[in-house]
Amino acid sequence: MKVSVLVGTVKGGFLFRSDENRKKWTVEGPLFKGWKVTAATRASDGKYVAATANFVYGLAIHRSPDLVEWTQVPCSPELPEGQDFKLNEVWTMTAADNRVYAGVDEAAMFESEDQGEHWSFAPGLTNHPSRDKWFPGFGGLCAHSLLVDPKNHDRLWCGISAVGVFRSEDRGESWSCKNEGIPMIIEDQEHKDIGFCVHAIAQDPDDPQLMYRQDHKGMFRSKNGGDLWEKNEEGLPSGFGFPLAQDHTTKALFAVPLQSDEYRMPIDGALKVYRSQDGGDSWQGMSKGLPQEHAYMGVLRKAMAVDHLDPCGVFIGTTAGTVHYSADGGDTWGDLPGVFPRILTVQAFVED
Amino acid sequence: MARVQVELPSLLAAATGGQRSLEIEADTLEEALRVLVTQHPRLKGHVFDERGELRQHVLCFLNETNTRWIEDHGRAVKDGDRIVLLQAVSGG
Repeated sequence: MKVSVLVGTVKGGFLFRSDENRKKWTVEGPLFKGWKVTAATRASDGKYVAATANFVYGLAIHRSPDLVEWTQVPCSPELPEGQDFKLNEVWTMTAADNRVYAGVDEAAMFESEDQGEHWSFAPGLTNHPSRDKWFPGFGGLCAHSLLVDPKNHDRLWCGISAVGVFRSEDRGESWSCKNEGIPMIIEDQEHKDIGFCVHAIAQDPDDPQLMYRQDHKGMFRSKNGGDLWEKNEEGLPSGFGFPLAQDHTTKALFAVPLQSDEYRMPIDGALKVYRSQDGGDSWQGMSKGLPQEHAYMGVLRKAMAVDHLDPCGVFIGTTAGTVHYSADGGDTWGDLPGVFPRILTVQAFVED
Repeated sequence: MARVQVELPSLLAAATGGQRSLEIEADTLEEALRVLVTQHPRLKGHVFDERGELRQHVLCFLNETNTRWIEDHGRAVKDGDRIVLLQAVSGG
């Protein structure tokens, strides 16, 4: 069994590989040298799909059989004429059946029906009546999270920064806001169902109604697919943070709390990953092997991944360009070799 | 038709299968740019924006002249002309 971790930075991608023991790692790269690597996933045909972006040249999608040799696809996401917003970069991609969905900045959705080779604009999300009142937060106006119900592929969730969570029952044709129970950040005069700042969402693979949400305003859980959210922060030193991931084997949750939205740094300069082993009822900090002095880097919302092995590997990439990992479900941590540009995304893949 | 040489920055090589120097055939500057992205469609979104204009930070030269300074993009090109694409980013 092979474990590969793709680390996307503002200046290229880096690939770490190991066996299932995850003790010895090789590093390759830079891939896509000079390009931001903003998102990656594995399509259902087993091929990998990555998104790149560049301030000058815009974005592109690439596919690879092995995470090393990449080919730019024939038709990357492109806005149709007549849209009054811009397409800046892809923030997230997720695959189901032959489809791959992409959430982008400015907030919109694209879809591919052929494993990521050709992309088309999916207008349902931006047809939402509140669209003209969406405005960017600190991270831009980004559709950063897309989930597909593992038991009903018509059902999707999308998280948009400074707007909120949306759910679709018809594979993205129409969407409704799902933010009840979440404190609003800025109230719109007309649309009372937006103005929520979701940072990340996660979903139980066996019970898709059970969802978790790292929000600007705290850590939340929903037992009904997002219809109602309840705060679950016991043990967290701060409700503020960005990444959120769940191990599909043990169902453990992982988060990286930061000191408030004003400061956005590890509390007291000590980088800690918090784990919940009871579905968010309580959280415990893990620090053994992580930098505990003068550590003021952040971990961006897409920069944490789990590999779902038993025990699971957990990987975090920091804004300081360091990569830290645990091969024992978070109990102890080590560093992966190298120091990289600011890390935007971390994705872990396991192959037999 | 004139045979025009097109030079690309290394960052765009993935869009042309690794080629940074291409030869295309066209009669005019406008046609040359159209033929470039028709023959290499992956380049289109990197060179042109949603309105079909050069992306804001892409520089395009016909020989020594910035094409933004050329009013008539219907002007004829000739054998041996060079179109060079560059990034127009300065400052920090």
